[in-house]
Formats: sequence, C-alpha cells, structure tokens
Amino acid sequence: MKEVELDCYGEACPVPLVKAQNKLKEMEVGDVLIVQIDHSCAMKNVPEWARKEGHNVEVEEIDDGEWEVIIEKMK
Amino acid sequence: MSDVNSSTGSSPSGGSIRRSSRSRSRKKKKNQLPIGVALLALIVAFGIFLGTRNEQLVLFWITGLAFGYILQHARFCFTAACRDPYLTGGTNLTKAVLVAFAITSIGFIAVHYGAHLRGAPMPGSAYIVPISAATAIGAFMFGIGMVISGGCASGTLMRVGEGFTMQLLSLFFFVVGSLWGAHDFGWWKLNVILQGKAVYLPDVFGWVGAVVVQLLIIALLWIAADKWADKKSQEA
Repeated sequence: MKEVELDCYGEACPVPLVKAQNKLKEMEVGDVLIVQIDHSCAMKNVPEWARKEGHNVEVEEIDDGEWEVIIEKMK
Repeated sequence: MSDVNSSTGSSPSGGSIRRSSRSRSRKKKKNQLPIGVALLALIVAFGIFLGTRNEQLVLFWITGLAFGYILQHARFCFTAACRDPYLTGGTNLTKAVLVAFAITSIGFIAVHYGAHLRGAPMPGSAYIVPISAATAIGAFMFGIGMVISGGCASGTLMRVGEGFTMQLLSLFFFVVGSLWGAHDFGWWKLNVILQGKAVYLPDVFGWVGAVVVQLLIIALLWIAADKWADKKSQEA
C-alpha cells in the first residue's frame, strides 16, 4: 500500500481536482492519496467527485482553512 | 498506532482509512470567537453609522453581507455550475443555479407586473438590452476567464473575503478588465450592441406566457442537467 501526498496549497479550484484525478489514475487499488488544499471550493468538489467514483473519502480540517482530503482508491 | 483498518464502505467518521503512522503535527487552533464577536460589533456599528447618513445604504449593507454569507456557506459557485458538468459530471450546482434562476424569475415578474398594474415605470427596464451574437461571444469569453481565474465576479469577491490570497490577483485583473470594458463600452454599445434586438418576454408572450415559457426552459435545462449527471455517473 502506497501513500501519496499531493500538495495543492494555493491552487484554485479546479486545479486540485484535476491534479487529484490524474494522480489517482496512476495509483493502484488500495493506495491512499492525500490531497492538501486550502481552497474551500475544492474541499467540496474533490470529495464529491471521489465519492461519486466510489472511493473511500475522508476530509480533515488540519488548520483553519486548510484541509486534507484522504482518498482510498477502491477500483 | 491505532491503524484499525476497514477497507469497505464509505466511512462517515474519521480514522478508518489506514494511513501511515507518522504523527501529524497538528497546530492548536486559535479560538476565533473573540474575533467573531468583535467583527459582529463592528458590522452593527458601521450599519448604525451608515444609517445616520443614508437609510438606503443600511439596506445595501445588510443585503450585501447576507448575500456574501449565503454564497460562502452554500458554496454557491456559478463557475462550478458551468464547469463541473464537463469536469466531474456532477450537476448539483448547475441545478441549484437553475432553481435560483426560477425563483428570481418569479420574483422579478411579480415586481414588474406590480409596476405594470400601477402604471408605474418598470423597475430595471434600463437592463432590457438588445441580444445578439455579441451576447453569446461575450458569455463564452467570460466563461473561459472565470474557469481560469477560479471564480466569477461574486465568487472571486467571496473567496478573497474568505482569505484565499491567490485570487487577489483575479480581483485585481477583474477590476482592470472592468475599467477597460467601461472605458470602451460606448463604442461597443453604439457599433455592436444596439445592432441587436431587445426582447422583453412579457411583450412577446404576454404576462402569463412569459412566466410559463421562462420556467419551462429552466425546467428543461434542469431535466437535461439531471440526465447528464446520471449518464456521466454510469460511464464512470
């Protein structure tokens, strides 16, 4: 199992989403992707997309206005 | 290490996705309550100050704040409404925007019809402007701009207020572009915009017809958005 961190601090929506999509594509089932974001809009659409794709998703607010979206690739 | 693993199902609470055990240094969050109370007092004080000058300004102050608050907390994003159907296949925001259009349409028609009954001048009639290919081209360019800059006008303002500093850049060039546009607007209006034809739906379809046609178009778009999301999620 691999764990990858994707630094998207300072990137506006939809850049974090596209980056997460591309990164997750090259990962394997069971791997965990941690997307670090500070754009509140991306905090909404990254989890929404990942859940729709059927992955396990958790969102953690690690600081005021900074989040980690943890995605476990399921398929 | 409490790496209890559960690999199936979506997890509502934290900690069920297995993660590496490296300790995450978590900064202690500052208590923002005092700042919030101070800000609220400031907002009220400024409202009272405005009230001594001009009562209308108080209304603008309150509606502006309310608008920003709702926009921020609802994550209402016109950019995402136009962009996400392509990018993620999600159309929740698109549908939300369409519902907002439907509600405001009814509100607008009520205001206009009221003015019509009283024989009063139509509020906002100055905004009934000609449409032409320029409208479509301009809308397309605006769409490209807002996707690149990460927000439309209201979205950019909201995110700057939220503290997303990168979009201060968007705000700056948004102001520059608006000023440039305002500077040349006379020429565009004379040579391009006025070549089109102004359409006021109640003149064309009558009052009831205008409401029906408008809401019907919005309903069709809503259904299309709904179907689109279904189709996209099946492809995925």
